[in-house]
Amino acid sequence: MVVINDRSRDLGPFMPADDDGLIICRCEEITKGEIRRAVHDGMFNLHEVRRFLRCGMGLCQGQTCGRLVRSIVARELGTPIAQIDEATARAPMRPIEMSVFAKEVEDV
Amino acid sequence: MKRYDLIVVGAGPAGLSAAAEAAAHGLGVAVFDENSRPGGQLFKQIHKFFGSKEHKAKIRGYDIGAGLLREAEGLGVKVYLNSPVTGMYLDREIVAETDGAVSHYRADAIVVATGASENMVAFDGWTLPGVMGAGAAQTMMNINRVRPGSRVLMLGSGNVGLVVGYQLLQAGCELAAVVDAAPRVGGYGVHAAKLARCGVPFFLSHTIVKAEGETRVTGVVIGRVDETWNIVPGTQKHFDADTICVAAGLSPSTRLLLMAGCEMYEPVPGGGRLPVCDEFTGKTSVQGIYAAGDVSGIEEASSAMIEGRAAGAAAAAELGYISGGELKARLDKLETALASLREGMFAPKNRGKVFVKTDEGYDISDSLLRNGYLADGEATKYPGVKSVAGIHPVIECTQNIPCNPCQDACPKGCIKVGTNIVSLPAVDEKAGCIGCGMCVASCSGQAVFLVNEDVGGGFATVTAPYEFLPVPQKGERGVALDRSGAPVCEAEIVDVRTSPSFDRTFLLTFRVPGEQCSRARFWRREVRRFGRD
Amino acid sequence: MSATTADVIIIGAGAIGSAAAYNLTKKGLSVIVLERSGYIGNGGSSRNGGGVRQSGRDPRELPLAMYGVKNLWPSLSEELGMDVEYYQRGNLRLGKTEEHLRILRGLTQNANECGLDVRMIDAAEAREICPYLSGEVIGASWCPTDGHANPMLVTLAFYRAARRNGARFITGCEVTAIQKSRGRARRVVSSTGEIFEADSVVLVAGYDSNAVLASLGFFVPMSPLLMEVLVTEEMPPMFYQMLGTAMADFYGHQSSHGSFVFGGSSGYEAYNRNNGTPVSSSITAPSMCRAVLGYFPALSEAKIVRTWAGWIDECADHVPVIGLTDEVPGFVFGCAFSGHGFGISPVAGMLLAELAAGETTTLDVSAFAYDRFKAKI
Repeated sequence: MVVINDRSRDLGPFMPADDDGLIICRCEEITKGEIRRAVHDGMFNLHEVRRFLRCGMGLCQGQTCGRLVRSIVARELGTPIAQIDEATARAPMRPIEMSVFAKEVEDV
Repeated sequence: MKRYDLIVVGAGPAGLSAAAEAAAHGLGVAVFDENSRPGGQLFKQIHKFFGSKEHKAKIRGYDIGAGLLREAEGLGVKVYLNSPVTGMYLDREIVAETDGAVSHYRADAIVVATGASENMVAFDGWTLPGVMGAGAAQTMMNINRVRPGSRVLMLGSGNVGLVVGYQLLQAGCELAAVVDAAPRVGGYGVHAAKLARCGVPFFLSHTIVKAEGETRVTGVVIGRVDETWNIVPGTQKHFDADTICVAAGLSPSTRLLLMAGCEMYEPVPGGGRLPVCDEFTGKTSVQGIYAAGDVSGIEEASSAMIEGRAAGAAAAAELGYISGGELKARLDKLETALASLREGMFAPKNRGKVFVKTDEGYDISDSLLRNGYLADGEATKYPGVKSVAGIHPVIECTQNIPCNPCQDACPKGCIKVGTNIVSLPAVDEKAGCIGCGMCVASCSGQAVFLVNEDVGGGFATVTAPYEFLPVPQKGERGVALDRSGAPVCEAEIVDVRTSPSFDRTFLLTFRVPGEQCSRARFWRREVRRFGRD
Repeated sequence: MSATTADVIIIGAGAIGSAAAYNLTKKGLSVIVLERSGYIGNGGSSRNGGGVRQSGRDPRELPLAMYGVKNLWPSLSEELGMDVEYYQRGNLRLGKTEEHLRILRGLTQNANECGLDVRMIDAAEAREICPYLSGEVIGASWCPTDGHANPMLVTLAFYRAARRNGARFITGCEVTAIQKSRGRARRVVSSTGEIFEADSVVLVAGYDSNAVLASLGFFVPMSPLLMEVLVTEEMPPMFYQMLGTAMADFYGHQSSHGSFVFGGSSGYEAYNRNNGTPVSSSITAPSMCRAVLGYFPALSEAKIVRTWAGWIDECADHVPVIGLTDEVPGFVFGCAFSGHGFGISPVAGMLLAELAAGETTTLDVSAFAYDRFKAKI
């Protein structure tokens, strides 16, 4: 869903929290505080937070943390979570070695 | 490119059912699964299923899986194992990885039955080794035969948490507690009661504050949450534990559907996208693509199997193997079966609702929802619990769930559920119980007991289902436990029964003082193996 | 700046649009950036291989690339206040056959004629630069001043800095028309009917620019060309050169994080089905894997975690349209970057800002003028 999103709107100051050190993306070791700060830096959705911090870009491709990151971003923005799009689904569904992907065989 | 009439992605309950159904109608079908064994979650399900006969109730999950696989293979379905589907491309093309290479396949219809994955909860220490999904623990135990830990705390009181919690006990683990931030037990009361009577404490309105440990989990701190989900100061409790299982719900594995361009929606904000599809056949917005089972919305495996059948039938009709009329007849039959599973307090349409009374007007036990067990004296309020002379069934089934094997099990007609499968079972005290125990063994919730209130000498006997090893011997002395797992009296095993029709459930009969027969619901050796300290 | 008026409106929040916005804010001008999608850098800016190359460029474009490498890229992280993962470790263009070497020599000669330091090296020297090359490599061209950066971070860094300087970015705002007022491009109309006004309007919307250009009666001869990239898991540091081949069958590099990022083709990119969203094809990633492993067998066990696709706004003559036009004063072209836009994004942003501000441009942009498209005979 594309929502008109003014990136200059006031989110208020960044307020440090006790659980800012909590790791959210374990593949890339990104903390809750880093994600919250990224929002204040203008990263207003999952795509930008991923590209900015790499959370959800590791081996599991965000399948573990995606849901958590989404709720953190929504809460930080004060936006209904439904307006925060989930990540795009991209092949491969599971990590695959280059040598395997390189080898295409015809099943007969 | 190799082409099939139908490709099914995922060999779980929905996928295998779709494949078998379509193959039965004459389609050339291939099923792809990333695992080395087919069956999806079914082969991890060592418990008996709920439902009715047509839903394969009282059959254990792995037997259902084996049956489905035999059926599919017997119909000529090609099953590709160890073959993850790496992507779905335009016009129903998939790429699958098998034996160190990839191959392209096209189908005229595709059923996506990729199931769901476990949600994680982030708390202080959640990345320590020893924190795992409940489903992962189940895979370790029931597929790989590895005990996940020795003392486990379960976060989540839904059916997954409760069922896996019980299986952890069966595997010989201690279960330190079941913890849930919600104020009420989320899963079936009968599943909770199985744990509670083994002495497992429930902490509702609690959540994990932190997992302790440097290099792995050594303990857990929980705390009570207020209405805004914040920890109430001063309510923290510590448990020694080496394992934390998280059963915080499932997210449908929709990535292939997304790649295929299926239209999605999010019924519960934050709960994840689901495909917009026919709620029965799973037909999506993309021509020829169907979604079946958990990927189209989380439900039980029993529902997934019917959804799979419906998707398989719809694909058969789309490809001209059956007529519209034949499809309608088939779907009508399946729909009736599915509709009955989608009734009751736990139905998808009732998610999030709080019930204070059953359909029949009985009060729902507050103790059951908060502690996991019926409080003393509460059981007799329900139609399955009656005080009768001689041996008779006592059915502690107090919520409207879609299940009726107890009714079919009794050869004497002592038990009535009626035509509405979610009704509470009622005991007919006039129909002479012969104590055969079929009802005890048939109850997937292990909620049926046989009680004889007076066997002479001031004693009574209680017969309870038992699914632990080693099986107690006749003459063994131990203690009887009440519904909360607290010892109530000494109890001697007077009979141990099993039979093929009990399907590995043992019936333990133990003798207790007459006045304890309404409280004693479980038996334990003197050795403390699990429960409260 | 009011909510809907500014000195300059930029249409498109990609790397170049964001860079232009940043440069304009530094000049003290007010800026509104309108982006159709929900995301900053949703087009080619987050869908490219990250090359910061001069070698292999069209001679018309080379001055821009060289200016950027000399003056902008080395200090970009410092300038924007965050690491954009720029590496200036050279570009190796590899050959396995005499025919390949002939192609490489031709490219090298062209570059030298434009004053760029590129030279042919033998297999031994190539392996000294990158020890992981296949034994089949017999030579390469080598441009030591080329490099690569992280395109997603570059785009977001420009955005972040521009936003901090007061540029107002609005995503989810589709522009349907640019309207003239009193002889100048002045009004920008959104699909929801909102009207924004500015003294200058810069259009940097990739292939989608044509849809907006139509409202002014313009058309740039460009086509959407699918490009695909694959990303591996994190690997130990191996080499930081930008890589390519004589046959252009793949290009890529290892990122700071350790992932390898490779782009390539199946040969059918021009004939894909454009259904509105970039869809990777089932045959391209395997093709790229074969191409890469043919030169870097050491990567055979590297796991691919992600593939993605994007659209290149491929211009008829393969260089961008940048500049003003007498036909519509106040309007600035910035499109058809033809897949080479990222490497020159800081420069293009600088030039577009200068054009929008009415300043003399640092570099001559006459070769990129809109009116250059003439019939062939």
